[in-house]
Amino acid sequence: MENVLASYMVGEAFDEMMDTEGSVRPSYKAIYNTLRKTTPAELHNIAESLAKSYTHAGVTFDVGGVERPFPLDLVPRVIAAPEWETIEAGVAQRVRALEAFLGDVYSAKRVISDGVIPSQLLTSSTHFHRAVWGIEPPNSVRIHVAGVDLIRTPDGEVRVLEDNVRVPSGVSYVMTNRTAMITALPDAFSNQRIRPVAGYPQRLLAALRKAAPPGADDPTVVVLTPGVYNSAYFEHTLLARTMGVELVEGRDLECRRGRVYMRTTAGLQRVDVIYRRVDDDFLDPVHFRSDSMLGVPGLVNAVRTGGVTLANAIGNGVADDKLIYTYVPDLIRYYLGEEPILGNVDTWRLEEDEARAEVFDRLPELVVKPVDASGGKGIVIGPRASREELDSLRQTISLDPRGWIAQPVVQLSTVPTLINDQLRPRHVDLRPFAVNSGDSVWVLPGGLTRVALPEGELVVNSSQGGGSKDTWVLSPPPHYSATESRHKPAEKAEPVIEPPVAAPEEAPAEALPARPNSPVPVAVTAMPVAVLTPNADQHSQQEQQQQGRQGFSAQDRTC
Amino acid sequence: MLSRIAESLFWIGRYVERAEDTARLVQTHLRVLAEDTSAAEVDACRNLLALMSVDSIAEPTTNDLLRVLGYDGSEPTSIFASWASARDNARRAREVIPLELWECINTTWHQLPADGFGSSGAHTFLGWARERSALFTGIARGTMVRDEGWQFLLLGRSLEQMDMTSRIVASASLTTGSSQWRSVLRGCGGHDAFLRTYGGLNTDPDAATFLIIDARFPRSIMHGLVAASDCLTNVSHANPSAAIPSAKALRRLGQLRARLEYADMTSLLEHLDDEMSCVQDVAAAVTKTVSTSFFAAADPTPWITEATR
Repeated sequence: MENVLASYMVGEAFDEMMDTEGSVRPSYKAIYNTLRKTTPAELHNIAESLAKSYTHAGVTFDVGGVERPFPLDLVPRVIAAPEWETIEAGVAQRVRALEAFLGDVYSAKRVISDGVIPSQLLTSSTHFHRAVWGIEPPNSVRIHVAGVDLIRTPDGEVRVLEDNVRVPSGVSYVMTNRTAMITALPDAFSNQRIRPVAGYPQRLLAALRKAAPPGADDPTVVVLTPGVYNSAYFEHTLLARTMGVELVEGRDLECRRGRVYMRTTAGLQRVDVIYRRVDDDFLDPVHFRSDSMLGVPGLVNAVRTGGVTLANAIGNGVADDKLIYTYVPDLIRYYLGEEPILGNVDTWRLEEDEARAEVFDRLPELVVKPVDASGGKGIVIGPRASREELDSLRQTISLDPRGWIAQPVVQLSTVPTLINDQLRPRHVDLRPFAVNSGDSVWVLPGGLTRVALPEGELVVNSSQGGGSKDTWVLSPPPHYSATESRHKPAEKAEPVIEPPVAAPEEAPAEALPARPNSPVPVAVTAMPVAVLTPNADQHSQQEQQQQGRQGFSAQDRTC
Repeated sequence: MLSRIAESLFWIGRYVERAEDTARLVQTHLRVLAEDTSAAEVDACRNLLALMSVDSIAEPTTNDLLRVLGYDGSEPTSIFASWASARDNARRAREVIPLELWECINTTWHQLPADGFGSSGAHTFLGWARERSALFTGIARGTMVRDEGWQFLLLGRSLEQMDMTSRIVASASLTTGSSQWRSVLRGCGGHDAFLRTYGGLNTDPDAATFLIIDARFPRSIMHGLVAASDCLTNVSHANPSAAIPSAKALRRLGQLRARLEYADMTSLLEHLDDEMSCVQDVAAAVTKTVSTSFFAAADPTPWITEATR
């Protein structure tokens, strides 16, 4: 029988399934055994039925207004229990620190008076909105939902590539991927315990209800979408449906005397919490873009008077500014008094003369990103850019050093992926999602794994031929205490031995937890590739309609 | 329920029903052409298109008819366009529509023909179109909560059904052959039911009575009228603010009902075309009232309403 894994060759990058010796990591044993027994023809059929079920169910994303079925690869990405604990703790820690940071910068600004970050860093951030200064959210939560993008470097370390605390998207595909995979590869599921992801909507709804303005006993929660042309529209409907709440567009809402109402067949009905999937700039034509058709006039005032809660809060963009990103380890130490559990990707701040000189020198081998854009806009990949492009980039940076950061180019880790009925290593990243209820930060076990389908391609963007994978977090064996180690991240610096899941005879080769006290970031990278022309003003509204800004499909990434 | 969602459900009901009835109408037409050799193809096609308010084609052939009413998505009257519009609305109301119902609509949309076909492929397509609508209706009945949304869906569907049956009935006056009523009855799927109810010695007035005022037959005009009145009563009970305008719409429906119920069937048959136009006018007026009183939010979406003659 033909073996689909016979010719599987690991490249330079870290491979999630196989180590450099060619032996299978313990976490992948069950998958490996299932795949080994499968013929290429069977794999082909499974892949086809997956694609077909997505087409029929309308699990799509829009590229330029055209709906396409969301590509799902049938080999899951597997994360072992101990490693997941590190990621979980690291993501939650980051969210707590950013939450504290936002609470601070929109009130006392202690972080500046204490000299942790320079004040011009804040005031020069395009996403710092004075309109919301002094507004204290009902339960002090501003980041109700966060998506933290992680990558794994060739030496096996997990690093944070960027934080998304505005409107991170992609969580719906985590849920639909799981549902689809259960029917596609039932064997692999029955051989091990995989932590479920279906609880996300309930967690989110609970967090949103807790954020309601005081006095709302049974708060009305709605999801605000830019409309059917947004690339993440599918996600908006799925979240509204699974939370059992209304999905509204801007035109369905109306602000009256500091309160927000939705238009129903029975007249106006009060709304208490809006989980908005519309960017800050389009939310309220009174305060932000006056030509926005997607928002609700008067919304900011309603938020200020406490008539309604917005999730996520306005002005969160200052926390995922790419220059602030370089300070996040400091912020974690400053606000939480803890050492960062997950390290950053090495980054040069171009405002610093020395760093700028070095970057200018090495420009052809680096990646340069604008600090305030998401969706991969304006990014320049050194190795792919022409001499003229690099020269003009040096000029642009010299004029506005605050606007740019530079990072090295690195290989993302790989996972076997079905290409032409054969399994081949392809590069992946991971976006775990965190929900902050005010009492605790909960991280959805798993997250969205995006994969670049062309060989050697490091861009995992769906609009560039990227796909996704189901992400399996294995349940720890019963004797392993999850809570104990979670609160002691600093003690987990040493590689944890993977508890054997399916193959006890396997040598304990797994040792990939990201190290908490990791010294200076070694060198990593990833960067967005799609170099889009900086959008003209008149186009951006349409883009907002058509693509989620921090949307997974808009987020280009490479290394 | 959000006004926008209620409106979408109303129109999903209409579009799906319209797709089914258009398929029935075209099937009836094809059968008449085949059975009645005396009918000129161009005249029959022109009359049928006129019935559907299409007058852009000078010398229509059966192939034109199949294109305009069948597979051409750019023609607002086509079955293709009806399903595409239904699917657009279903996307907007995705979070309130049961998953199975959405998959039914979405799958249908994906299976819509990419290319045209001649009369040989027509029956397969038209049969398929009727089946998909039937599947939709069945799933909707089986999975939807009987809330306001259901009432709006049913209201749209009932108005469309009475409107379209009136057009199918009017098509009986288009041809001169003796087989026309039988074809119309077959088109409505009521031929056997009619024979069983009225006996084999049927006459034209009997057939007209059955299709127009026999509320027991679910595709009759009267059945649509009664169902629409019931839905409207239900939704206006839930929304006191819309009571006055919906009372106006209810009155229009009631007046039409009385007019048809007590009509002299022989004279009604003489003025069949006018009487049926009147049914279509009432459907349009009720739609307008419902839109302004329940779907108040300003909506830039251009709906494809039924054109009246």
